[in-house]
Amino acid sequence: MRALLLAVLSLPLLAAPQEDDSLTWLDNYDAAIKEAKATGKPIFLEYRCEP
Amino acid sequence: MSQYVLVRTIRMDNVDIGLFEHDRNNTLYFYLMNADEQIYMRYGGRDSAAADTYLNLDSLAVALGQGLELHEKYKKSELAKAPRPKPSFPREYSLLVERTFAKNQCVECHLIGDYVNLHREKDKTLDKMTHLYRSPDIKTIGIYLDVPKGLVVKEAKAAVAEAGMKAGDRITSVNGTPVWTFADLQHYYDKTDRRLAKTVQFAVDRAGKSETLTVTLPVRWWYYDVRYRQSSVDPRLYFESRPLTEAEKKDRGLPVDGFACEVTRLDSFGLMMKSHELKVGDIVFGVNGVERDPYAHTAELYMKLNLTPGDIVKLDVLRDGKRIQNTLTSYRLSFRK
Repeated sequence: MRALLLAVLSLPLLAAPQEDDSLTWLDNYDAAIKEAKATGKPIFLEYRCEP
Repeated sequence: MSQYVLVRTIRMDNVDIGLFEHDRNNTLYFYLMNADEQIYMRYGGRDSAAADTYLNLDSLAVALGQGLELHEKYKKSELAKAPRPKPSFPREYSLLVERTFAKNQCVECHLIGDYVNLHREKDKTLDKMTHLYRSPDIKTIGIYLDVPKGLVVKEAKAAVAEAGMKAGDRITSVNGTPVWTFADLQHYYDKTDRRLAKTVQFAVDRAGKSETLTVTLPVRWWYYDVRYRQSSVDPRLYFESRPLTEAEKKDRGLPVDGFACEVTRLDSFGLMMKSHELKVGDIVFGVNGVERDPYAHTAELYMKLNLTPGDIVKLDVLRDGKRIQNTLTSYRLSFRK
């Protein structure tokens, strides 16, 4: 169930046509804060259970 | 998505769970926020039917768009900032430390939820109506959302319909707190006091005009099926039941305001553990001599709210018209890994 859910949510977002390669996911919260400060972008923070 | 800095966290070890405070029984949960750690909105939430009832790519796209709008306001200093909640970290919970950090195991979200409740149980601050029956189901008060459209109401029934909510309304706040997503709605609705609140206020956008609706909360508005939570503060009783109707109680000579219930299902694990000797069809009408409770409509719920796992109680039971007593031993759920 969890795998299906992750697949449903992640694939269209992460593997979307054209965008997949350009999307970079960080795995460090502090690095995300630093990058958001540098770029002026908002943050999209995901919490998920460890697969 | 490219307009956001994307970050994924799968270990909760060093997360400020005071700032990122959400119902931990979610498989996925998202925050839209800025570099000043100001949270714009949450995305996620679930009900007892499924983990993904309210997860939808269209509604996520709506949320992402709203997040960008709020971010523009933030950059122009037009967005009020709420006070930052008191920081809190998983290492502050000694039972959680023993269970995870000390064994070099992952601090999973659901473990945080459970172990915070175990500490409450230990400190005698656990209120199961609030802490176990977390994130009450909005359908209980009649809100059925058009999920792909975020907080647009597909159908309004029961209490919210009586208050004037209509299909097509977009919910914009709960008790004065702005909400953007189902996760926001669920999070702030959950703040409603289980014992004291008689009403909850929703603001809705109806064709561009704001309306405020005061909804009268029904009895046990907070109650729903929490079995998916697998919480160790929920005593295992190993039976399921249904409440008796008033007429059924009268027929059997039981108090109409009592919590008599009929056993509908037995759990085979309970039979193995010899938790009790109840049979399907038994009427349980008393627990340690108590027959009524202001919050519980079944003896089963009364025990879930009032027993600590491991407690042993005497049940008053009606079986084939005869009153008998039965002993029930409750158990605590133990996690396998």
